[in-house]
Amino acid sequence: MANVETLTLDCSDKSTRDINLAIRQAAEDGVPAVEILNTQARHNIGVGILKPIHMIYRGHVGYYTVGLCDDVTAEIHGSSGWGVGDNLLAGEVVVEGNAASSAAPSIRGGRVVVKGNAGPRAGIYLKSGELIVGGDAGYMSGFMMQNGKMIVCGNSAKGLGDSMYQGVIWLGGKAEELGSGVAEVEPETGELDEVLEMLESYQIKAPKAFKKLQSDRSLWNFNKHDFAAWKDAL
Amino acid sequence: MTGEFQRPPAYSGTWHPDAIEEIQEKAELGRYQIRGQATKRHNLPSFDDLVFTPAGLSRMPLEGYRERCDTKVVIGEGRVSRPLVLERPIMIAGMSFGALSVNAKRALGIAATRCGISTCTGEGGMHPEEREHSSKLVMQYLPSRYGMNPYDLKKADMIEIGAGQGAKPGTGGVLLGLKMSEEVAKMRDLPVGIDQRSGCRHPDWMGADDLYMKLEQIREVTNYEVPISIKVGASRIANDVRIACKGDVDAIVFDGMEGGTAASPTIQLDHAGIPTIAAIAEAVEALHDMGKQDEIKLIVGGGIKNGADAAKALALGADVVYLGTAPIIALNCHAPIYLEDYERLGTTPYECQHCHTGLCPVGITTQLPKLMARLDVDEAADRVTNFLNAMTMEIQLFARSCGKNKVADLDPNDMRSLTQDVALMTGIPMVGLNGRKPWWTKF
Repeated sequence: MANVETLTLDCSDKSTRDINLAIRQAAEDGVPAVEILNTQARHNIGVGILKPIHMIYRGHVGYYTVGLCDDVTAEIHGSSGWGVGDNLLAGEVVVEGNAASSAAPSIRGGRVVVKGNAGPRAGIYLKSGELIVGGDAGYMSGFMMQNGKMIVCGNSAKGLGDSMYQGVIWLGGKAEELGSGVAEVEPETGELDEVLEMLESYQIKAPKAFKKLQSDRSLWNFNKHDFAAWKDAL
Repeated sequence: MTGEFQRPPAYSGTWHPDAIEEIQEKAELGRYQIRGQATKRHNLPSFDDLVFTPAGLSRMPLEGYRERCDTKVVIGEGRVSRPLVLERPIMIAGMSFGALSVNAKRALGIAATRCGISTCTGEGGMHPEEREHSSKLVMQYLPSRYGMNPYDLKKADMIEIGAGQGAKPGTGGVLLGLKMSEEVAKMRDLPVGIDQRSGCRHPDWMGADDLYMKLEQIREVTNYEVPISIKVGASRIANDVRIACKGDVDAIVFDGMEGGTAASPTIQLDHAGIPTIAAIAEAVEALHDMGKQDEIKLIVGGGIKNGADAAKALALGADVVYLGTAPIIALNCHAPIYLEDYERLGTTPYECQHCHTGLCPVGITTQLPKLMARLDVDEAADRVTNFLNAMTMEIQLFARSCGKNKVADLDPNDMRSLTQDVALMTGIPMVGLNGRKPWWTKF
C-alpha cells in the first residue's frame, strides 16, 4: 500500500473487523490518510490504531470512534455516538457535528474537538489532554476529571466538573449547577489568550467571556467538618 | 474521661457491644467505617454446609499416587487465537498495585507462574513488575480506567471487564491517602496523597446494548486474540448471566459477598450481595437456561479458603475459583510477627483489618518503603506456591475419592447438603433424604 496518498475505504460492504484491519495496515505501511465512506453511524470504526494516520470520516459515526488510539488524527464530517476518542493517548479528533454521551472519556492526552454540542458526561475521567466543545455540554460533564483542560463555549447542564481532582474547565455560558468540589477562580495572565487562540484555530466562535473552574480540593481528603460536600461524594 | 476500660468478654446489656462501638466510632469519624478484609458475618450459608459423598461400593475411587487427575482448564478454547490455559482451576483475583505493595505483586506473580495459573492487575493499571513476573496476566478494564492504554491491553493474556466486586457491589474502589504514593498516583494520573474514590459505573457505557459495543471495541483492540470475561459482584445473578451471554464473553466471574478487599465501607461488606455458594447455584442454572454452559466458563470467588471449598464450587458447576484473601494470607498476612506494630494499630494478628490504612505490619498492603521491605519476595513466593500446591492436591483428593480423573468432572451428585437452606438453594439433596430430584436433573 506504500505510495498511496489517501486510502479510500467504503464501509458499506465491509465488516468492522476488516475496516479496522485495513486502517491499521495502512498506518503500518505509512499511508498518510484514509478516507472512510458510508460510515452509517457504525460503531468501533478506527479503534486500536497505534501508528500515525489521518482518518477522514464522511458521515455520522457510532460508539467509540477513534477509541483506544495513539498518535492519530481524525476529522468526522458528521456527528458521533458515545465515547468518541475514548482513552486517546495522543493526537487529535475533530467532530464537525454533535457528540453523544461521554465524549473523550478518560483520554490521557491529545485533543478532542466537538464543534457542536456534547451530551452528558463529556470529558468524564479526563486524565490529560484537551476537550473543546463549541456548543453546550450535558449533565455531569467533567465528572471526576483528573487533569487536562475542558473548554465549553456554551452552557452546561447540572453537575459540571463534579468531584474533579485537577485540571481546568473553561465555561463560556452558564452552568445549570456546578458539581461538588468545583470553584471559580481568576485566570492567570495569558491563559485566556491560549484558549481563544485554540478556538480560533478550529474556527469556533468564542463567547464573550469565560469562567475558569477548577477543583477546590475539598474532596481530596475526607473532612468530617464538610459533611455537605462529602455526603454526595463518598 | 481517663483510665483504660476493658470491655467484658460476656455482656448483659441490651445492644451488643459491637453495635455500641460502631455507633461511637461513627460519632467520632463523621463518616461510615472503612476497613479491609471481608465480611465478619459468620451466619451465611457456606461451603461447609455441603459434604462430599465419595466412592464406596457403587463407584470406584482413584489411587491417589498412581492415577492421574487432570486439573487443566482452558478459557476461550476454540473461540480466540490465544486462549488462557490454566494448569489448575485457580486464578489469583484482581488486586491492584496500590492496594498491594509491588513486592506482594511480584511474589504472587512468581508463585502463579510456577503453578501455571494467572494473576490479575486489579484497578491501578499494569505494573511492569507484575507483567514481568506473571506468565499469565489478566488485565482488568474498570470504570476508573486508571493506567488504561491499548499497549497494556495487548500485553494481557485475558481482559476482564470489571463491573463490580463482592466486597462492595454497586460501588467503586477506595484507596486512602497514605497508600497514594508517588508511584501509585503517577500510574493513576492522580495527585499524591488524596483519598481516591473510583467511579462505580463505566464512563462510556450504561446498559447491556452499550456493553456489547464496548466488548466489540476491546476485541478489536486486542485482535480477537485473548479471552474476555466480565466480573460482577454477586447479586442479580440470573439477569447478569443473560446479559453476559448475549455479549458472548468467554467467561463470567461472580464474586460472592464473602469476597475480600483492601478497603470497603464496612456496612457494605456485611449487608450487600449474596453468598458465593448461592451465586454459583444461580449462575449455573442461568447458564444452562441460556444453553451456554459448555462455551462460557464460570469463575467464582468470595471466601474460598481451601481445597474443599474449591472442589465444592467446581462440583456445583464453577470451572475456576478466584482466590484473593487466601494467597494474601499465604504471603504473610496476619502472621504473628512485628507484634508491636499490630499493637500500635490497636489490633492483633488474626484480627487485623488495616489493609486500608497502608500501615500493614507485614508489608503487603502498604506503600511505605520501610514496611514494604518486610516482605521477602522469594520467601513469600515459596509460601504462596506451597499453599497453591496444597490446595490443588486437596481438590484432586476429593475428585479422586469420588472416582473422577478430572477435577472438572466433579458434579452435584458428588455432594449432599447438611442444611435445609443449602439444600434448597443448590438443589443438592439433604443428607439422609436421597429421593428428591434437584433442578439440574432437568438438563
